[in-house]
Amino acid sequence: MTQGTQTNAQYLNNLVLNIAQQDEQAYLELFDACASRLKAYAIKCGSSPSDAEDLLQDCMLTVWNKAPQFKPATASAMTWMYTIIRNRRIDILRKEKPNLIQSFDLWPEDDIEQISSIDFVSSRLDDDVEGDLNARLVRILIESLPEEQRQIIYKVYFEGKSHSEIALDLGLPLGTIKSRLRLAMKKLDNLAKEQMTWLIIILLTNF
Amino acid sequence: MANYHPADELLMQFAAGQLTNALGIQTACHLESCSQCLKKVFIYEQLGGDLIDISSPVEVDTEAKSKLLQTLHAKRAAGELRTSNIEPIETLDPVFRQQLDQADQRLPKPLRRFIPTHYEHLPWSGLSKNIQSYDLPFSDEQYTARFYKIAAGKELPQHTHRGNEFTLVMSGSFSDLSGDYHPGDFVLANTSTHHQPKAHDKEDCICFAVMDAPLKMTGFFGRLLNPFLK
Repeated sequence: MTQGTQTNAQYLNNLVLNIAQQDEQAYLELFDACASRLKAYAIKCGSSPSDAEDLLQDCMLTVWNKAPQFKPATASAMTWMYTIIRNRRIDILRKEKPNLIQSFDLWPEDDIEQISSIDFVSSRLDDDVEGDLNARLVRILIESLPEEQRQIIYKVYFEGKSHSEIALDLGLPLGTIKSRLRLAMKKLDNLAKEQMTWLIIILLTNF
Repeated sequence: MANYHPADELLMQFAAGQLTNALGIQTACHLESCSQCLKKVFIYEQLGGDLIDISSPVEVDTEAKSKLLQTLHAKRAAGELRTSNIEPIETLDPVFRQQLDQADQRLPKPLRRFIPTHYEHLPWSGLSKNIQSYDLPFSDEQYTARFYKIAAGKELPQHTHRGNEFTLVMSGSFSDLSGDYHPGDFVLANTSTHHQPKAHDKEDCICFAVMDAPLKMTGFFGRLLNPFLK
């Protein structure tokens, strides 16, 4: 499994790097590789099939525009596309409502770059090594979460439900939802620490 | 560097793009000065990417790919999409760009568009000189967003809260029995919090508060004050 994940993550990263060089072939390949799952995201978030198609088009055009900003050292192509579709979804939803907040208010872009260049241990690492490690560890984590915890995470990400709504949905007490989410978060936190440890070990053995 | 931070659950909801206006802006303001929380958000974004990666594919319209390519060509020809290898094209609405550029650059970025001037010139309102407020224009169905200004060295009446109140210290500092809070600190008070915040002597303390219910004063003076605090 891990071998496949690595190759795929690298493949997607390279596609986006090529798109930055205006490579249309890479662009179409990226579409083939991701469109069906990006659309799935939109649908899980509550879009109708036709709105999901629109969001997909919009997201892919944004991918073209922003490809030069993609830095595999900070985020994998999948993570990067996730942030794009998340933000486009917010902006499109709010276009129709007299709502003031836009995604650029929440995620001013240059700040992210600033922090990542100053602060990340990982930014000093070789892109490929670091990207693979990230992909592998987070994937292992999600897959190792018990179904009941994973279900709650899904509801947070896709349905934007509050804890009490999730409790109602699943017919469970609020306390149970909170403790399950907390368990999942704790694992994530440990993972983040573990990841840092791994990065430092690699850093030390490489030099 | 902040010492008090949003809960991990809140950061995850932020990364999921699922926070409402007021809480979203407030969290974004904290993140601007807190690399520790920003790193967590990056991890949660990665989780978002992985959730997409492992989700079952949905069938995409057979025309979608050719439509995309057509739009790409048309928009590039019209100069609406990037045609160089380096710079992304400016897609931000010029009105927003102007608002951002004209704002007070000392404010956290996420707030700049919404504050026409610096604190000193805001039309503060309130019953007493000790505590004044300014309503922010992005309250939502769930939360009210507002600045509070506690005058230097002054103490608020002891109070508790009917619901959650998230406070981000903007400038100055205050303390209560649980701690000292400085710019960037993110504090959650709820129905079990009884406190009597006091601004430090040197300067007024300005806080960005997001609350889901009005303040409820508990002491004698609190009861007198409460109706005016809304």
